[in-house]
Amino acid sequence: MKCILNTGRTVPQGVSVEHKGADVYRTIASSCFLNPVDMMILGIEDGDRIRVTTPTGHIVLTARPAEGVARNEIFVAIGPYANHIISSETHGTGMPDFKSQRVDVEPTKEPLKSVGELMEAIGGLRYDHT
Amino acid sequence: MTEIWVKNACVIDPLNHINGEIMDIAIRDGRIVESVSDRADVIDAQRCLTLPGGIDSHTHVSGTKVNFGRYMSPEDMRAGRTKRKGKMHVTSGYYVPTTFGNSYRYSAMGYTTLLEGAMAPLEARHTHEEFTATPHQDMMANTLFDGNWAVMDAVREKDVRKTAAVVAWTLKAARGYGIKLTNPGGTEAWGFGEDLTGIHEMVPHFAVTPAEIITTMMRANELLKLPHSVHLHCNNLGKPGNYQTTLETFDIVPDLNPDRQTLYATHVQFHAYGGGTWKNICSKAEEITSSVNSRPQIVMDMGQIMFGRTMTMTADGPMEFNLHCLHHNKWSNHDVELETGSGIIPVTYSKKSAVNCIMWAIGLELALLTKNPYQCLLETDNPNGAPFVKYPEIIGLLMSKRYRDEECATLHPETEKRTSLCALERELNWHDIAVMTRAGQAKALGIVNQGKGHLGIGAEADIAIYPIRTDSVDPAREYRKVVEGFQKTRYTIKRGRVVSRDGDIIVDGANATFWVDAMVPEDLKMENDPEFIKRFEQFYTVRMSNYPVQDVYLPRGRRIETEVFT
Amino acid sequence: MIIHDVICPFCGCLCDDLELECEGGKIIKVQNGCALAESTFMTDTRLPAPIRRTESGWEEISYNEAIKETAEILQGADRPLLYGWSSTHGEAQSVGVHIAELIGAVIDNTSTVCHGPSILAIQEVGHPGCTLGQVKNRADVIIYWGCNPIEAHPRHMSRYTTYATGFFVPDAQRERTVIVVDTRRTDTAGIADEFVQIEHGGDYAVLSALRAIVRGKASVIPAKVAGVSKEQLIRIAEICKTAKFGAIFFGLGLTMSRGKYKNIRNAIELTDELNRHTKFVISPLRGHGNVYGSNEVFTWMTGYPFAVDFARGIAFYNPGETTAVDILRRGECDAALIVASDPGANFPRAAAAHLAKIPTVVIDPHVNATTALARIHIPCTAAGIDAAGTAYRMDGVPIRLKKVIDRGYPDDAEILKKIYDRLNGGKGP
Repeated sequence: MKCILNTGRTVPQGVSVEHKGADVYRTIASSCFLNPVDMMILGIEDGDRIRVTTPTGHIVLTARPAEGVARNEIFVAIGPYANHIISSETHGTGMPDFKSQRVDVEPTKEPLKSVGELMEAIGGLRYDHT
Repeated sequence: MTEIWVKNACVIDPLNHINGEIMDIAIRDGRIVESVSDRADVIDAQRCLTLPGGIDSHTHVSGTKVNFGRYMSPEDMRAGRTKRKGKMHVTSGYYVPTTFGNSYRYSAMGYTTLLEGAMAPLEARHTHEEFTATPHQDMMANTLFDGNWAVMDAVREKDVRKTAAVVAWTLKAARGYGIKLTNPGGTEAWGFGEDLTGIHEMVPHFAVTPAEIITTMMRANELLKLPHSVHLHCNNLGKPGNYQTTLETFDIVPDLNPDRQTLYATHVQFHAYGGGTWKNICSKAEEITSSVNSRPQIVMDMGQIMFGRTMTMTADGPMEFNLHCLHHNKWSNHDVELETGSGIIPVTYSKKSAVNCIMWAIGLELALLTKNPYQCLLETDNPNGAPFVKYPEIIGLLMSKRYRDEECATLHPETEKRTSLCALERELNWHDIAVMTRAGQAKALGIVNQGKGHLGIGAEADIAIYPIRTDSVDPAREYRKVVEGFQKTRYTIKRGRVVSRDGDIIVDGANATFWVDAMVPEDLKMENDPEFIKRFEQFYTVRMSNYPVQDVYLPRGRRIETEVFT
Repeated sequence: MIIHDVICPFCGCLCDDLELECEGGKIIKVQNGCALAESTFMTDTRLPAPIRRTESGWEEISYNEAIKETAEILQGADRPLLYGWSSTHGEAQSVGVHIAELIGAVIDNTSTVCHGPSILAIQEVGHPGCTLGQVKNRADVIIYWGCNPIEAHPRHMSRYTTYATGFFVPDAQRERTVIVVDTRRTDTAGIADEFVQIEHGGDYAVLSALRAIVRGKASVIPAKVAGVSKEQLIRIAEICKTAKFGAIFFGLGLTMSRGKYKNIRNAIELTDELNRHTKFVISPLRGHGNVYGSNEVFTWMTGYPFAVDFARGIAFYNPGETTAVDILRRGECDAALIVASDPGANFPRAAAAHLAKIPTVVIDPHVNATTALARIHIPCTAAGIDAAGTAYRMDGVPIRLKKVIDRGYPDDAEILKKIYDRLNGGKGP
């Protein structure tokens, strides 16, 4: 399904923003909110995983229903999951398309990655920290 | 102990009645002394013009609105930029330079003390942060009270003592220097998009008039024994016909202080317009100066404009919006809760505009028609009339009829008809200029006894040595030499250290910030007034305990304590 | 011990009425704060000591070593990038600018991926705004456009707008009309008197339509604009025109969506137009606690609010070229110093990936996503918790953050000064 990826701040994201290694942060930042009708069309339910693809790459997220999200739009809290697939093009403004990235959404059984894994995928090394 | 011996200086020091004497100046540890040891560093002034450090008694260089002027103007930042060089940081900007840009360029012109013209108390911390980054001038801040709710309440109750108490509390909280009124009452009205049109019009919701605010504040100012007088930006700035408002305002000024003026009227050029529309605007400089000439209790500054591009910025929010509706350029506005307003727009003063030419002429007329130079100080309301780097040109114009005539020949033909500038023969002399750029300022600001604006024994060793030989330059003819000479000192000495040589800063700055701690009787202290505290906590958006500027923001603060009144 | 009137450094609201209870160098209770404030103060887990990435993993190193190596990395770089700054105080930001000037670096702050476009718009048309107290005391119409304060600025409505008792608005909830404009029906939309749901990317068109209606040109407006009915647009325009004092707050819904800074320009010009009928102001809802301070400090020191490039000796500014994402995307910088921010999490992957390819140093109290990409991470105080300093609220009001406890970490300004001194042959800025 073709959608527009919208991102933004949320309270849970803000509360856990300085604990990016924690499971709770992973749950929050990898949640993808969809209109329930779109979820029905995709044949997925609350908590199912979806694969979201852009020309930049793809990411696995957990689908969550949200009435407030418009059809053919998905919402993900700002963070490393959304950014994994957002293009770095800024159209000469310095600002990437954090709220207007075109994406393709499909159901998947692939597992979620952790923040550490995402960083390691781009050459980082996670620092384990309690 | 550091000592400097300046020899062969051609000194003009109006406050000590020295006019062009060749003499030596001894400096020890930042002050002027009788004599120094033979180990002192020697500066040979070679008979060049030597003046007390320049003082700007009304300029906009630091704080919220100045910085917003920079923020919104990358085009200006590109217009003036210099690299890091020796002790000098990178600078950007022409008419709203960065703090270092302001400081270096003022210092190169021999200026060592500046009064920031407008500081909203709620945002005072910002002004002080920028003061620290303006390191080569001693700084002080006019503190805005034009729309202060507690002041207006006290004025309505006709309570001068309480007005004074509010002023004292606020000055201390803001680490401010003196009282500034910008379009009194008008900035409060602008909170709902209105303005006032005269000094007897009621401020909406507060049932006071600008005249009452001005009068009560002048009395409160003198009750508190503040070093400076009330500093007023009159109502109706920039409107054709506004000279009436200005004259009415001057009429209500009593003479309350034998040592200085009772009212400092700022950028009066913008308040001296006749006519009723932009089509028939004309100069009323004669009427304004004749009022000032008969009232020693008033000091004004010119508010000279110079042609070219600049930025207007003032606490007078409604005026800036009106100007925006004329210019259709970008417009910023920033009202400050319970206190004041502000607005910013860029302008270009053009010789093709009759209005701009008339404005230019009025500023010069004011200076030439004021008999006593202590009553008309040289300023552009930087950067409103022009950036301060234009001061040398203004000096040239005031000293040379020929220069004025040559300029007038390039102006809109209406200038001659609607101003009397071309008929004015007066040419100011070196002494007049020294008064209008330092001695007059020091006296008006009440900082002579802080050692400012003169070169007497005990004075702060703030000295400007210009590459001008007054015995061999005829300013009337060789005005270009005058202009060039005032652009760059040979030496600028700040508190006994050479800070600038031939236009380059050579040391790190160590300025001071002067502020006034005005004493009030115990029973009048606002911090103990439950009603004041209650209103503060209800209507401000910061807690009262977080409002006062902490001492850490004034690393070299100089507190001036006044005597308590009874 | 109870500490009163504490400032929360988390978001641009800088609420200054928190009450903290501290015991034995620990904060044990936060009162008056929102959920974000509570987590900021209560669950403040830090990186214990400086760490360095080696072939075999992470190792702890001393502050001296970390500072020395950071200085060497910056000294050896041809095109260093200094990025972040928005969650620390002005004192650290100021040293950062001095370092950038000294070594000819690019320095950028987080507004680059936040309200950078708002700044570009303001540089085109200006900014009619005010302090938040003006809104609290006067506004009878509040518009939240492309923002969601309930989530991002949880106390904005209770302190400054919808629910705040003001001098001229004693019965706030009844006397204020709240309009929310968004593509999503957010929780904030739930409390609105009027919710305007715009189709994705339609903000510019809707703003233009409102401008036309306010100018008396309603006849040119089609029946629907980006999903919004003409009737609703006319109603909104009327509410605005007849307001005593209207205030628009906007968020990243305008800065990040299609049109970017042109959306903001249009919103500002609508505000300008409305001022010809009544009083109207507009303000960005700034995210990080002191992001506005980074704009202020950069501006008075360099002339520009963000994206300043000192490579040519002078301060040079060209967003799109000298902005952090672009410099990283092009793989242009060869070293990076990241202070008080987390580009690893907040930049698009391709930009973040470059940080792992070059020597990157992080100075931040917390382990974050960028830590994994770094060569060195130096922990420090958190401004407003264990360090005092200046922060600028979203409306430009400067507030002094308090030091409420001591946790034994060095202040980031001190760490940066030591780096500066090393770069400058032992002499301070």
